[in-house]
Amino acid sequence: MKSLSLLLLSVAASFGLSAQEIPNLPPPGLTMPHVVLISMGGAIASQAKDRMNITDFGGQAASRVDPEKWLKDLPDLRLFAHITMEDFRPPAPKPEEEGKPEAPGAAGTTTAQLYSVAKRLQELAKDETVDGIVVTHDTNTMAETAWFMDLVVDVKKPVVFVDSQRPWSGIAGDGPLNLLNAVRVAATKAAGGKGVLHSMNQAIDAARDVNETSAYRVQAFQSTDLGVIGVADPDIVKFYSEPTRRHTFKSEFNIAKLPADPKNLPAVECVYSYTEAPGYLIDALVEHGVKGLVVDGTGGGSATGGINGQTEAIKRAQAKGVVVVVTTRTRGGRVQDTPHRRESKIVPADNLPPEKARILLQLALTETTDLAEVKRIFDEY
Amino acid sequence: MKHPRTLALAGCCGVLALAMRAADPVPSKPAAPAAAPAPKTVPATATAPIAPPAAAAKPAAISTAAAAPAPTATPGTSPAASGLPKIRLFATGGTIQGSGENRDNIANYRAGQIKAPQIIADLPELKKIADLSFSEVSSVASGAIDAKVLLKLANEINAWLALPDSAGAVITHGTDTMEESAYFLQLVIKSDKPVVVVGSMRPFTGLSRDGPLNFYNAVRTAASPDAVGKGVLVLLNDTIHSARFVTKNNTHRVDTFVSRELGAIGYADSDRVVFYRMPLTRFGSKTEFDVEKIETLPIVDIVYGYQEASGAAIEALIAAGVKGIVLDGSAPPYNRATLLAMSKGMVIVQCDRKGSGRILTSERSAGRGTVSADNLNAQKARILLRLALSKTSNASEIQRMFNEY
Repeated sequence: MKSLSLLLLSVAASFGLSAQEIPNLPPPGLTMPHVVLISMGGAIASQAKDRMNITDFGGQAASRVDPEKWLKDLPDLRLFAHITMEDFRPPAPKPEEEGKPEAPGAAGTTTAQLYSVAKRLQELAKDETVDGIVVTHDTNTMAETAWFMDLVVDVKKPVVFVDSQRPWSGIAGDGPLNLLNAVRVAATKAAGGKGVLHSMNQAIDAARDVNETSAYRVQAFQSTDLGVIGVADPDIVKFYSEPTRRHTFKSEFNIAKLPADPKNLPAVECVYSYTEAPGYLIDALVEHGVKGLVVDGTGGGSATGGINGQTEAIKRAQAKGVVVVVTTRTRGGRVQDTPHRRESKIVPADNLPPEKARILLQLALTETTDLAEVKRIFDEY
Repeated sequence: MKHPRTLALAGCCGVLALAMRAADPVPSKPAAPAAAPAPKTVPATATAPIAPPAAAAKPAAISTAAAAPAPTATPGTSPAASGLPKIRLFATGGTIQGSGENRDNIANYRAGQIKAPQIIADLPELKKIADLSFSEVSSVASGAIDAKVLLKLANEINAWLALPDSAGAVITHGTDTMEESAYFLQLVIKSDKPVVVVGSMRPFTGLSRDGPLNFYNAVRTAASPDAVGKGVLVLLNDTIHSARFVTKNNTHRVDTFVSRELGAIGYADSDRVVFYRMPLTRFGSKTEFDVEKIETLPIVDIVYGYQEASGAAIEALIAAGVKGIVLDGSAPPYNRATLLAMSKGMVIVQCDRKGSGRILTSERSAGRGTVSADNLNAQKARILLRLALSKTSNASEIQRMFNEY
C-alpha cells in the first residue's frame, strides 16, 4: 500500500482540475476489490458557490455534486478498489420547485427511500461480484438510516456509511479523505461481518452506537461511552473490537418481510421530557394513531409526572394499546429494567437514542405488540 | 493509594473499619433483583471461612495463612458444592483494601490493610451470586507490584482457571498501576473464563466508598456467561473495560478509568451485566506467552520525550544493561542515543505521549528498526515488550506482536 501522504498530495494536486493523471495506478492485471458507491446525497455531494462557504449549501439543483465528479476529483479511489456508482438521490428540483415543500428531497430521507436503498443493499449482498458497499448520506439523519440498514439487510460484506461536515467544494473539506477511507474500509475483508459501519474523521464506528454529537465539527460522529471499533489510518485499516448485539446477518428482521408499502410501517413518534412537560402532546399522538411511542425521559429515563404530565398520558396511551419505550435525554448510559418500570409496562431502550429506539420499535411492532417480546428485542439489538 | 508514606498506621485499622461499617448504609441494602446470572434455586451457603470480627482486626494473622499456590489446597475454598459459579478472589491490596484513620480520610490511608475475608464478609449479598473463595497474593499499593508478584498472580490464576469447575477470577488491585497488571494478565492468562480486575478510588474506610459496589459488580461480571472469552476486564464505576484499552485518567475521581478512543465494552448495571463489544486483539486461549516456567522478566524502562530531551537517560539505560526501551515521545527525538542503544542489541519501542491514537507502522520506522507500539501507552508497551523479549529480540517479530496483542 502506498503511503497516504502521497495520496494526499495527489488529492490536493488533482482537486478541482478538469483533467489529470491518475496517480500510482495499481499494476495491470491486479485484481482490485469491487466497491459499489451509492449516493444518497449529503454534504459530501454538495457544493457552494465559493470555497469559504462551509455552512450554507445544498437544496438547489446547482449545489449537487454527482457521483462521477467524486471519481474525477479523487482518482486515488481507484488505488483501493474498482468502483461502480449508483445514484439514489431524489431527482434535482426543477427551478420552479426550489424551496417548496413538495420539491424532491425537501422532506429529507423518507421511509420510502430507506426501503429502496435497503432492497438494493440486499441485492448487492447476494451479488458475488461485489466485495463492499459505501453509502453517502446527509449527516443529520445518517445514523438512523445506517441503523435501519443494520437491522433489515442480511449482509456479511462491508457496508460503510460516510459523509462530510463540509461541502465537497469547501476549504479544508473533509469529504475527500472521508470518501477515500470509506472505500478503503469497504475494500477491507476484516470489515465484513461487523454490521453496518460508519466511517468519518478516520474513525470506524458501529451503526448502532454512532450518533452526530456536534453541528459542524469534523469529529461530530461519536459512539458515546462505547467508542470506535476501529480506525482508518494511513498505514492500515484496523479493528480493535466488534459489536456483540444482533445485526445484519444475525437479525430477525429483513426488508423482504416488512410491510410492502412503507406507509404501513407502524407509526412511532418521539416526545421529549422536561420539567412540566405536558401530557396532551402524547394524547395528540395517540389521537393521530401512533402504534408506539418513544418518551425521551430525563436522567435514568423518567417521564414527567403530575396530573397533566406525561406519566398519566402514558397510561392513557397504553390503555389504547400503544407500546411505550423510554430512552434517556442524557445521551449516555442505559435506561435500566427496574421493577417499577415493569409494573408500569414501559420498555427500557437500553442505551439507544430516541430516533434509533423509534426505528427498532417500528420494526418490533411489525412482529408483535407483546411487551415481553418488545423488551427482548431491545435487549438483543 | 495517594500518600503511602505520610500516614502512620492506626493501631487497629480493622476495628476502625468495622466501626465505619456500622455507620455505612451500603452493605445493608439487599441485592438487586434479577442481578444474578446464576441459578436461583440454590440456597445461599457460606463459601469462604469468613473471618470473625476479632480476626479481621488482625489482618497479619490471615495473610500468613494465605497465598498457597495450589488452589485446591488454599484456605477459603469451599468444601461444599453450592451449585453457584465458583469465583476466586485474588487479593493484591490497593485502595479497595485501604484503611484510613477516619471516614473523612479519602486520600490519606494505607493500602492493602483490609484482608480478603473482610472484603467478602462486607458483602453477604454475594452469597446469592457466587461460591466465593480467596487467595491473598500480596497486600500492597499498586506501585509496589513487581514482576515477581505479577508472575505469582498469573500462575495462581492460571492454575485456578484450569480447574474444570472454576468459573472465573476477581483480582483486587490498586488503581495506579492496575492497567499494567491487567494487561499483563490479558497477555498470559490462558483461559477464556472471565477474569475481572477491580479496585476503588476511595478506601474501604472512607465516606461514599466505591469499593463495595465495584467488588460486587466484579463478582457478578466474573460469574456472567457473557463475560467469557472477552479477555481480562477492568471494572470500576459500573463500567466494564478491556484490559487492552483501559487507562487511568484522573488522580482521584471515581470515573477515572476510561478507554479513550475505543470506549467501554459493557456495563454492570443493577438489571443486567451487559456487553456491547468483543475485543479483537489476541488474548486468552490464543496467547503465545507462557509464564509458567519463567522466574523473571527482561528489564525494560521508559524514557519520556519533550523539547531538548538530552539522550542522557538512554545512555544511562544502555550502561545499566536494560534489554529494551519504550520511548514515550512526541516525535523521534533520540536519534543518536537510540541508534547507539540499537547497536547494543536493545529493542526500541516507540509510543506517543498524547494518550490516544496509533503510532503508524511507517516504512521509515521499519527502516530504522524501531517498533511501533500501535495505540498502547508507554506503561502497557513496556509490559508487552518484556514478554516479547522473553521469547525473541527480533524487531520485526516484536512488531508482529505489537500488531496483534
